[in-house]
Amino acid sequence: MGSMPKILIIEDTDEVLSALYKYFRQKNYDVISASNGLDGLKAIETEQESLDLVITDLVLPNISGVAVISIVKKKFPNIPVIAITGWGEHPEALAKEAKANLVMEKPFKLNELEKAVRELLKA
Amino acid sequence: MGPPIIGVSENIRRVRELIEHVAHTGLNTVILGESGVGKEVVAQNLYQLSPRLGKPFVKINCAALPEGLLESELFGYERGAFTGAEQKRKGKFQLAHGGVLLLDEIGDMSLALQAKLLHVLQSGEFAPLGSEKDFKTDTWVIAATNHDLKQDIGEGKFREDLYYRLNIITIFISPLRERLEDIPPLIDYYLNEYAPQLKGEHLVTRARELIEQLKSYHWPGNVRELQNVLKRMLVLGDPEKIVHELLSGSLTNSRSTNEQRTGHPESGGRLIPSVIELDKENMIGNSSFSLKSIKKKAVDKVEKEVIAYILEKTDWNRSKASKILKVSYKTLLNKITELAITPPSGKNIND
Repeated sequence: MGSMPKILIIEDTDEVLSALYKYFRQKNYDVISASNGLDGLKAIETEQESLDLVITDLVLPNISGVAVISIVKKKFPNIPVIAITGWGEHPEALAKEAKANLVMEKPFKLNELEKAVRELLKA
Repeated sequence: MGPPIIGVSENIRRVRELIEHVAHTGLNTVILGESGVGKEVVAQNLYQLSPRLGKPFVKINCAALPEGLLESELFGYERGAFTGAEQKRKGKFQLAHGGVLLLDEIGDMSLALQAKLLHVLQSGEFAPLGSEKDFKTDTWVIAATNHDLKQDIGEGKFREDLYYRLNIITIFISPLRERLEDIPPLIDYYLNEYAPQLKGEHLVTRARELIEQLKSYHWPGNVRELQNVLKRMLVLGDPEKIVHELLSGSLTNSRSTNEQRTGHPESGGRLIPSVIELDKENMIGNSSFSLKSIKKKAVDKVEKEVIAYILEKTDWNRSKASKILKVSYKTLLNKITELAITPPSGKNIND
């Protein structure tokens, strides 16, 4: 891992995506983003091992976050994945089955998410 | 096996790209689109690119069979499981083992059977009727439907948990009228395929000259209807006449809708003028005019009224309202924003 950890954020709500993007940039992360599962998956395939961590929403157009998690865990088991999910949504259980490293329910505090990212990167 | 996916539109490019990226995963998939857009073709393409190629590809139409029969078709039964079950019979889940099971028209499956399907998807096991033993199944479940499943969930016709369990991957195919640029390559492809079979090679050039006119039709039956029109041209030998009938027929249809509206204003027709401005000339044939856009407007209108009513009754307690409406809290918040439902002024909306 270089000096700046590289993370991918997949989220289909513009406001949430840009808030996360800005926050992690400020915290000195190298951030790439995608607004649906297919674009997210393509970014993962391009970056491969140079990617340090993935944060994904669960309900996404075309390829869901649940699918992204299971594909990453199969192809790149060393890349940690954090799932973020709306309150009371069913896919939470699916994210755990797909072996997300962490499932965080919205709303969460950005600094809590960043702390979780730091801890997963240390491990 | 299945034909290729023909088209140059953004939607079709995206569909092909999705297939390439997910075919190896075997993750539950839902294919959405109107009748005749080619949902089964997409399923076959997924299968062909998957490591399951060569294993069974089993299809079942969930709308074609009554509930009890569909259940025994899916899971099979033991001898003596019910009157008339003289032989044991394997279900589709067993027949599709190692391969693909395409559940067509999943939106028409009864709630009771949806619960059983959910159980199979969660546990990876099923029991034939009358059997005490569970069988393990390794089947790639691909479901297809022309329903708006989100709407079905709202109406209590489709289980939300099954929806999320199935929609790990979602592939949406647009109706043909929303991707007119796909019509010329589709026509080329099918003329080449059908002309030798139907001995209509001499008609191909004449049929091709009608492409522009065929692009002006709204294709309610999508690619399947286009295939039938092309076959008719090659068999009957008068392409110009067939196109003429097609286009004039569609005009007659819209005229009769108009008559119905003015003729019976009381029979549920009152909504129509409020969601479309039929009185304005040029409305029909306008590019923004489509059944889909009208359906959305009508549904939005009804949803807005119902949600506003429930919010009023619950004193804008949105978590209570979301429970009554049986939608998630997030969905309700999205609806409130999307449909611009506003609380009475001065009301505190923190719940």
